[in-house]
Amino acid sequence: MLAGLAWWLDGDGPTAVQAATAKAGAATVAPTPTGWPALGQTQSPAMSPEERATQLAVWTERLERAKHTLASYREGTRYPFESRPISEHADQTYPNRPVAEDSALRTEDGQTDPTINLKTAQSRVFMAAGESVVFTIAASDRSGQPVAFTVTQARALGMPSPGRGGQLPQQAVVFGDTGTQGDARAGDGVQSALLAPAQGPFAQYDGAIRVEVKLKLAGREGLHGFDVYYSPEQPAVWAGPVREVVERGSLYLYMPVQVGTPGRYLVSGRLDDASGKPLALLSFNDVLPAGLQQIKLTVFGKLLRDLKPSFPLTLRDVDGYLLKENTHPDRALLPRLMGTVHVSKTYSLNGFSADEWTSEERDRYLAEYGRDVDLAQGQVDQLTRP
Amino acid sequence: MIKLYRSLVALFVVAATALPAYAANYTLWVNGRTGGGQIGNYNSFTYWGPATTAAGVNKKAVNWDGRSNISSQNYLIRDALDCFCTGTNWCYIAAHSAGDLMMGYTLANYGGSTRYKKNASPNAAGQCGNSDGSTQVGWNIKWVNVASGAGGGSELSDVGSWTTSEPLVKDLKTTTARALYNHNSTRNVWFYMFAGASGTLYSGILPGQDDEAVAYHSTGGVSGSGGQGLCNPSDWFCNDLNMGTAANEGGSTKWSYHSVKFRDNNESYNHYANGNWGGIISVVRADTVTNAQ
Repeated sequence: MLAGLAWWLDGDGPTAVQAATAKAGAATVAPTPTGWPALGQTQSPAMSPEERATQLAVWTERLERAKHTLASYREGTRYPFESRPISEHADQTYPNRPVAEDSALRTEDGQTDPTINLKTAQSRVFMAAGESVVFTIAASDRSGQPVAFTVTQARALGMPSPGRGGQLPQQAVVFGDTGTQGDARAGDGVQSALLAPAQGPFAQYDGAIRVEVKLKLAGREGLHGFDVYYSPEQPAVWAGPVREVVERGSLYLYMPVQVGTPGRYLVSGRLDDASGKPLALLSFNDVLPAGLQQIKLTVFGKLLRDLKPSFPLTLRDVDGYLLKENTHPDRALLPRLMGTVHVSKTYSLNGFSADEWTSEERDRYLAEYGRDVDLAQGQVDQLTRP
Repeated sequence: MIKLYRSLVALFVVAATALPAYAANYTLWVNGRTGGGQIGNYNSFTYWGPATTAAGVNKKAVNWDGRSNISSQNYLIRDALDCFCTGTNWCYIAAHSAGDLMMGYTLANYGGSTRYKKNASPNAAGQCGNSDGSTQVGWNIKWVNVASGAGGGSELSDVGSWTTSEPLVKDLKTTTARALYNHNSTRNVWFYMFAGASGTLYSGILPGQDDEAVAYHSTGGVSGSGGQGLCNPSDWFCNDLNMGTAANEGGSTKWSYHSVKFRDNNESYNHYANGNWGGIISVVRADTVTNAQ
């Protein structure tokens, strides 16, 4: 601005004009701006019927996508992201159930034998300090009949990773069908093994552990691998009972935590109604400093008004971790809280707000998606004008 | 007369400098395994094909090395999103293969984080300066098109078909990929899944239909802790991967905000770009050219 005024005052002529204009616009390379119809989108009277039909098809598709995007975003953001109906997070409902897989028998050379099916499971993938994990294997033929097998070798191996030098820990893992050491029932054909990293050579290990299992069955040899991630680090510990508060039309569950390592913490908890029916996934994602802090889990008022649960509500199965940025391993888990963590008081639903969630983020998205709809609708209207 | 001319021009210059920068849409392409493009150079489309090929408005290549762990390379995607998808600028995203895992990890962990609005003028490292010092929650993303996404992992990683000395391969083990983050937490941004089926080489390892690297349970955004066999309607004795957000035959469901936009019924598209935006990427590119404006 000052350059323009200076030019006007000293009268240097076109050269200064160019300099002033260049300085004004020098900060950015000019990308194609929004709102300007791209070449070919502006209809000229000379457009052939085929060209018009093609353009109409394109803009109709854009309009449909824009409408769907706007409508679904508006619908989906009636509640905040930290307080969601469990139906949106179905696979998060029971986080402590075994992680199961079904696959054809694999051989050491990377091939598969489709006549033998392996059902495998592990009780967890990411492990908190001090936790143990149970692995199970069962084999069947194509008709589903159990096939007897022998575990010929099983060992847990620390996996190499960038920056990790030296010898990696390893230990033998014992599979059995005796009803002990993690095995649910003796003699049922399912072989199980328990690995407790804190009690062996993995006690101070932080990273991926692969459990390699070699099998012999029906004259064949097979191989299976389980991966778990262990860390002995405890970045924070739970520091007291849950405090529940109704404020601003919603129910808040505050979980005190003593944070040793500051950083971004992600915590999730499940909420059931009085009959045990899963209702909602509550989550927390924010940066916490060291010291006594609060994990705030939100039960949004409108979510309660819409779901109409029977009280009291039960908070259960809370898990969380410190997210370590830009590195691997990328997390250290909080102690896992399995089962019931807190039972709420009983409330009247009228005590909660029925208002939709509002935020700058939601407004920003609705405005932009709305612009997309208006732009596409305008083009469609123009193309369908006689 | 000359003074009047100069007055008008000066007035124009003053007004121009007072106007806000143009808002712009960008199309960000996030590569998968093996990488190849120059990291930090948003004009390096080596992974995909010729840089001159149309691929959406103001296209940018968000290059990461395609072999390190998702978590250790994630900052490159966050840098790109900060550069081009904040303030008045908005983004369309197109991702391939492990790029799906990368985008899902980004939104689940950082989608609600506080971001500085940036000036969309990257330095050699791919980072942009702050525009006005203000911040916003999350990024501005319209949708994500996913070409044969590996968000659910690949059994080729499970069986050791890919070398375990490559850190990304461990992230791509199906149980690990599915446990890595909450795949439903996309900040309500849609992931449109384009699933290829021209795979035969590893059909014994990859369950159901596959594009030679990733099976339908992953490319179709199917939820659950492990993989499963899903196919085309013409495949007997195998449950169908259904279009859109509908549950699949057999009852399996998709992650929230994941929709199957393309299913390769004719088994025509494999996993690979072939240096020319090929395979299933060609289908995503066509859709992106149409819709990313």
